[in-house]
Amino acid sequence: MRSTARAVALRVLAYVGLGVGTALFALPLLWLLSTPFDAAPRYAVRPPSEFTLGNFGEIGRNPYAVSSLVNSVVLALGTMVVVVVAAALAAYALSRVRLPGRDALLYALLLLSSVITGTAAMVPIFLLIFQLNLIDTRAGVILVLSGGLLPAAIFLLKDFIDTIPRSYEESARVFGASPLQILRHIVAPVARPGLATIAVWTMVQVWGSFLTPFILLRDPTKQPAAVVVRTLYTEGGSPNLALISSFSLLYSVPVVLMYLFAWGRYGFRFHGGIKS
Amino acid sequence: MADVELRALTKEFPGGVRALDTLDLTVADGEFFALLGPSGCGKTTLLRTIAGLEAPTSGQVRIGDRDVTGLVPGARDVAMVFQDYALFPHMTVLDNIAYPLKIKRQSRPERSGRARGVGANLGLAALMDRRPAALSGGQQQRVALARAVACHPSVFLFDEPLSNLDARLRLEARTFLKRLQRELAVTTIFVTHDQAEALALADRIAVMEAGRIRQVGTPREVFGRPANTFVANFIGSTPMNLLPGVVSGGGVAVAGGTLTPSTITPPTAPGERVIVGVRPEYVSLSTTPVDGALTGEVSIIEHLGAVSLVTVEADGALIGATVPEDREPVPGSRVWLSPAPGRVLIYRESDGELVT
Amino acid sequence: MGWARLPAAEPALDAVATGATAAPAATMPAGRAGPATDVVGLGRWRALGFVTPGLVLIGVFLVFPALWTLYIGVTDYRLTGTAARAPQIVGLENYRRALTDPTFYRSMWLTLVFVLGSAVLGQNLLGFFFAYALRPARPAVRRLVEALVLLAWILPSSVVAFLWIAMLDRDGGTVNVLLGQVPGVAWLIEYPMVAIVVFNIWRGTAFSMMLYSAALSGVPPSQLETARLAGASTGQTLRDVILPNIRRYALTNTLLITLWTFNDFTPFLLTAGGPNHRSEVVAAYIYNTAIVGGEMGYSGAISLLVLLVNLLLALVYLRVARVRPA
Repeated sequence: MRSTARAVALRVLAYVGLGVGTALFALPLLWLLSTPFDAAPRYAVRPPSEFTLGNFGEIGRNPYAVSSLVNSVVLALGTMVVVVVAAALAAYALSRVRLPGRDALLYALLLLSSVITGTAAMVPIFLLIFQLNLIDTRAGVILVLSGGLLPAAIFLLKDFIDTIPRSYEESARVFGASPLQILRHIVAPVARPGLATIAVWTMVQVWGSFLTPFILLRDPTKQPAAVVVRTLYTEGGSPNLALISSFSLLYSVPVVLMYLFAWGRYGFRFHGGIKS
Repeated sequence: MADVELRALTKEFPGGVRALDTLDLTVADGEFFALLGPSGCGKTTLLRTIAGLEAPTSGQVRIGDRDVTGLVPGARDVAMVFQDYALFPHMTVLDNIAYPLKIKRQSRPERSGRARGVGANLGLAALMDRRPAALSGGQQQRVALARAVACHPSVFLFDEPLSNLDARLRLEARTFLKRLQRELAVTTIFVTHDQAEALALADRIAVMEAGRIRQVGTPREVFGRPANTFVANFIGSTPMNLLPGVVSGGGVAVAGGTLTPSTITPPTAPGERVIVGVRPEYVSLSTTPVDGALTGEVSIIEHLGAVSLVTVEADGALIGATVPEDREPVPGSRVWLSPAPGRVLIYRESDGELVT
Repeated sequence: MGWARLPAAEPALDAVATGATAAPAATMPAGRAGPATDVVGLGRWRALGFVTPGLVLIGVFLVFPALWTLYIGVTDYRLTGTAARAPQIVGLENYRRALTDPTFYRSMWLTLVFVLGSAVLGQNLLGFFFAYALRPARPAVRRLVEALVLLAWILPSSVVAFLWIAMLDRDGGTVNVLLGQVPGVAWLIEYPMVAIVVFNIWRGTAFSMMLYSAALSGVPPSQLETARLAGASTGQTLRDVILPNIRRYALTNTLLITLWTFNDFTPFLLTAGGPNHRSEVVAAYIYNTAIVGGEMGYSGAISLLVLLVNLLLALVYLRVARVRPA
């Protein structure tokens, strides 16, 4: 009977732990959900004292908020195009043609993408972009982000293309289709789910990325939302909670939507296909 | 319409694996020809080399009177059906069948008209707007056939065309395939590892082992007179009896008895070690003593439906014989086995080749 | 940076750990059908052309910068002044300076505390606890808790940073309100390390939770039932059945979250390394010396050390996860 009592105690303890842990996770998120609609926004979490949508009006009154969202979109789309095109070409060739040193190359890509991080490379990357006269340009940010995301993108996409039966291409080839016809008629449509996954994954990464635009963009009219959000609460005076909360929510929603889209549509495991 | 001729064809993969070893073969115009062998024997590589998907290390592939060895697959005027059918998942049945015609730059109405015609002939008329994923295995196979038929090639190449179907459907599809080939009379080469399929479908069969052809012949020849012990082992749904023996006097000493010249033609050199081959179907079993028969004890009886396979232990050797379903002996009883006249084959022990 | 939390690394490493190990086998010359390379007839040159754009981008914007740190680290490169126009080679001076600089040692110590506290212990244990405790829970409860933990993981870092600045605010933050003291403790100023450790546990537990959840569902039910039939207690079952089954997951998980946390820049968003360098983990240290202080040469030397630690962790990871160049 002692053991049953202990088991019950353990169980209760687990539930209490779970409850406290969940509350810890929920509180900051509740703030993000409730404060944008609170007519008198505060630091503490609480249901809106008086419901309002007026806080979102603050976004329009801030000189950089709206343009920063546009910048985020530009960076996300630009990087997405570069990454998807370059990764698709490379992944296809690596999947289908036995280039010399291919396996070593893939291994190296894998290693590089985890070893060369933003923290480790911010000094040389800043200098490189500085030397290339790309400081304060969106192109510089797009190139650096692409370089960082490509190894993983190539790897994931090659994995996907490896699962496409080669007989599709062989079949088309026996019918006389040229390599480019095969790529256009067969490979591209069949690989579309994989390409879409990489596209969404890239956009999620760029949308949330902070360090690269933070060090490479000085002009606030060019900075994306990730950087502008921070300036809202670090620069001068008492923070405008109405603006910060509503802008944070607006800026966060696309990431959550992209996750839900990718998750629901392609059903990959969360830590397998996609994460920021 | 064309014949296919292979001359001294050799294919070596990087790493030294020899998938095809100086192989010569001629397939006649309009023939339904099977490449048969265990997995790894090179039959698929041979088919793919004919298609042009693999380049031979040396040798020649001729189709009709053209040397196509150096041509890309699309220029060889062949159509191939893959083991997994390779139906394009993003296209409808109609678009799949019409795809080869699109490559040949036929206009949209022309190619869809022809695709519909071919599809209707193969019983696909009601399925033309579906995607492959919405079809059964048998329907998918027919779409793949239709796609091959639609391009009017001079040679069909089928890679294990029936292996993805379940057992019941396979028989149906087999009959369908044979009728289709008869109607179109297009030279057809197909690969299979299933000897029953090869026997049932083909006009002629090439049995392959380790990159070489061990025997080419009609199903009757390959079944009745296997050219060597490898083919003898491979063909037939019940395995052929292959018993070690020694040539002595006018007969062959085997399994504690002697097979006399009345049932076999003796080989030339007395004292030579041989393998005696006889199919269980050609061995008659008696429960009473028979002159000149081999004798032994019944060890196992396996029911195969209309017949049963009886395994008899005779002087340490195991011999199979088939008997009608109501004539099985009692396990453990003594029986006498006599091979049918003219059905006993003698192979040299040294190289396994047929002596007579 | 795209890799503020080293995001790019994770799916790649994970992809390899789970799926790609089987890939080399599929391309081995199997004799039967042959390797069937180059099925569309692309040809080597065109294939090289396909690979080139990606490799050039990676080469110029990822590999070259990493190699360049070797050079930058032995110069007196500065952002402004004469050393900006004509940097001089100073040999190992930067490394000598680092080894005698107490701020460097402090940063290493803080990084160690941060990694051990928030990742190796915090995320690891909390992630396992969530995964383990949620197993018997009703699906609705389980999904709700998982969704909350995952939200903390996917929201943009500059947003979650402010959520915690608000939580920890001295005058009206939720933490102080719950403790019934307004104005209360200025957590970010008085306990900056505690703040970033708690923050990073909150931020990153999702990965460990998902990984352990997958690992736990892989424990053979027959083994659990055998333990139950033998009358094992919860603790004994955990020790004798569950832990041996998930040991490899625990190891790979620890290596990955260590690597990411070591490189995490997000604490900077909370405290900027302050006050007075008291939460200056290595990411913030590099930023403050390089971009704020302009001492490129010196911070290049520190960057090289970070790269080497990363390389070591990644190699051990790939070894543990049994990924090899085929």
